[in-house]
This record gives sequence, structure tokens and C-alpha cells, in this order.
Amino acid sequence: MMPSRRHILRIGGGLLAGHAFPRLPLAGEPVEIRMQGNADGSQVWFDPVGLHVEPDQAIRWVNHDPGNSHTTTAYHPKNFDHPLRIPERADPWNSDYLLPNETFSVTLEVEGVYDFFCIPHEHAGMVGRIIVGSPGRPPPSTSAAQALPEVVLQTFPSIDEIMHRGVVRRT
Amino acid sequence: MKMRFAAAAIGIAALAMPALAADQVEKAPPSGAYKKVSELVKLPDFLPGLGQLYVDPKTLPAGPFLAYDHEGRLVSTVYMLPIEDLSNKDKRFDDLASPGGKVDHVDVYFNAGHPGVEKPHVHVVLWHVPKADETRVAGK
Repeated sequence: MMPSRRHILRIGGGLLAGHAFPRLPLAGEPVEIRMQGNADGSQVWFDPVGLHVEPDQAIRWVNHDPGNSHTTTAYHPKNFDHPLRIPERADPWNSDYLLPNETFSVTLEVEGVYDFFCIPHEHAGMVGRIIVGSPGRPPPSTSAAQALPEVVLQTFPSIDEIMHRGVVRRT
Repeated sequence: MKMRFAAAAIGIAALAMPALAADQVEKAPPSGAYKKVSELVKLPDFLPGLGQLYVDPKTLPAGPFLAYDHEGRLVSTVYMLPIEDLSNKDKRFDDLASPGGKVDHVDVYFNAGHPGVEKPHVHVVLWHVPKADETRVAGK
């Protein structure tokens, strides 16, 4: 059965007012991944950088960086010829640029490991990893032509760490 | 006859003067080929720490970017130089325009990237205002 994906792009941050973070989501509530950066733009990151969820859990990225735009973009050949680093049967996503307080949501149904990046900040190591259900096979190794920057490979939390901790915050 | 040629030459020169004159940059929007950065790429209109940016798209990625405060007053000129270019011995940035006038002080710092300059780069900021006035473009 072909899995389906649902994604919603919302404009405006009012929906998020009052959200504490991190905490376990209530039933039906999306889990939030924050897009962040420091004041001079020298550092940018996803927080959490690693997350374990069950199938059908909604994930919502929120741009909390007042001075920059960010994307959440799945590692997939359909996204700028990037290597495949999500389950083969899963559909890729690309939020396009989110201005401050804009959000983007997906619901991931296929079990496995999903790696994603921020288009303008991949080379600065702004990447993250979500494991849905059982991790199964790890992301395939990539060819030399598709080699990822070293900073990217260093930023992904290990599958073991995500499965053990559930949520891996940025350190 | 000579007088007639001379008069014609003066007339042509006078007509050409506006094109030759320097762009007006002290107040936003600057004249000439400058465009508002937030209308070229998806970025906030006012960037905390920098202000409202204008650039001639032909000069990307280096710039100059002209930065204005909330009242539209020029506060700095910014150059954005990709790290990979700075570490390339065959790459140079020569003759970058500097239309903003007197420079009070200069900041140089790393930036992770943003739409328009999507790779890690360096911001070279020529401040045209005193250090104390940098607050005019500070984040809230």
C-alpha cells in the first residue's frame, strides 16, 4: 500500500503562543521542531535535532529565528538531487522558505529513518533526523558525487541515541 | 563654427550629468539599480542587527548591501563574501563599490547563510554611524 503524506503550510505564529517546549504532545497535537539561529546569524540549528515518534504522529517545524528564513527539506533526489535518506516508500517534503513565525507540518506514516536539511544552511550543519516507529535499515551510504558535507554527517544524532532518548536536543 | 560645436558638447554633457551622478544612498530607497533584498528573496524585511537591506542584484553575492534603520537612514554598507571564495587563491574581490561615504568603524564576522547567499560567508560591515548608534538596527 502506498503511504500518504499530509502537509500543511500555515502563515503566522499566533497558533503557537503559549507552547512550552519540550514536552510530550497531547493526543493529536503535533510535535514541534524549532528552527533557530543566534543574533548575528553565525549559528543556526533545528531543535530537537533528533526525534523518535510513532507512525501517524504529526511533526510541525516553526521558524523561531527573527533574522532569517529556513526550510525543512527531506533528503531525496527530488529535492535538488540530494541523496535518498528517507524510507524508499515515503514521499519527500520541502517546505520552501519559512519567514519568522511561519510553520510547516507533515505526518509521517512509513516507519524508518528520515533525514532532513535547511536549504540555505545545509553547509552550516543545519540538519535533523526523525525516526518513525522502528528504524529498520539505516540511511544508505551515498556515492562520492552525492557526498554530504562532513559537518552534516557530524550533526546527525545516531539512531541508537535517538531510540534511547526519544528526543535529542541541540547541545 | 568651433563655438557651435563647443555649445553642443556642453549641452550633451549637461544631459548626461544625471546618469553620471552618484546614486543617492543616504535615505531609503537608494536610487540607481538597488532593489530591496526582501523583494528579491524570501527574507524578513528588517533584519535585526543589520536593518533593511538594498542591493544591486548584479553585484551578488558580494554586494555592497546598503543597510537602513527604521527611519530609512543609511547606517552601514555590508559585503557578503563566501568562505569558499576567501579560501580560493584564484578568487579576488576587487573594486567593490563603497557609496556610503564616511566609515566610522568596521565589523567582520561569520554568517551561516541565508536566501540570496546560501553558503557560509563573512559579513564585512562598514558602519557609517558611531558604535552607540548601532542600536538603531538592533533586534527587539
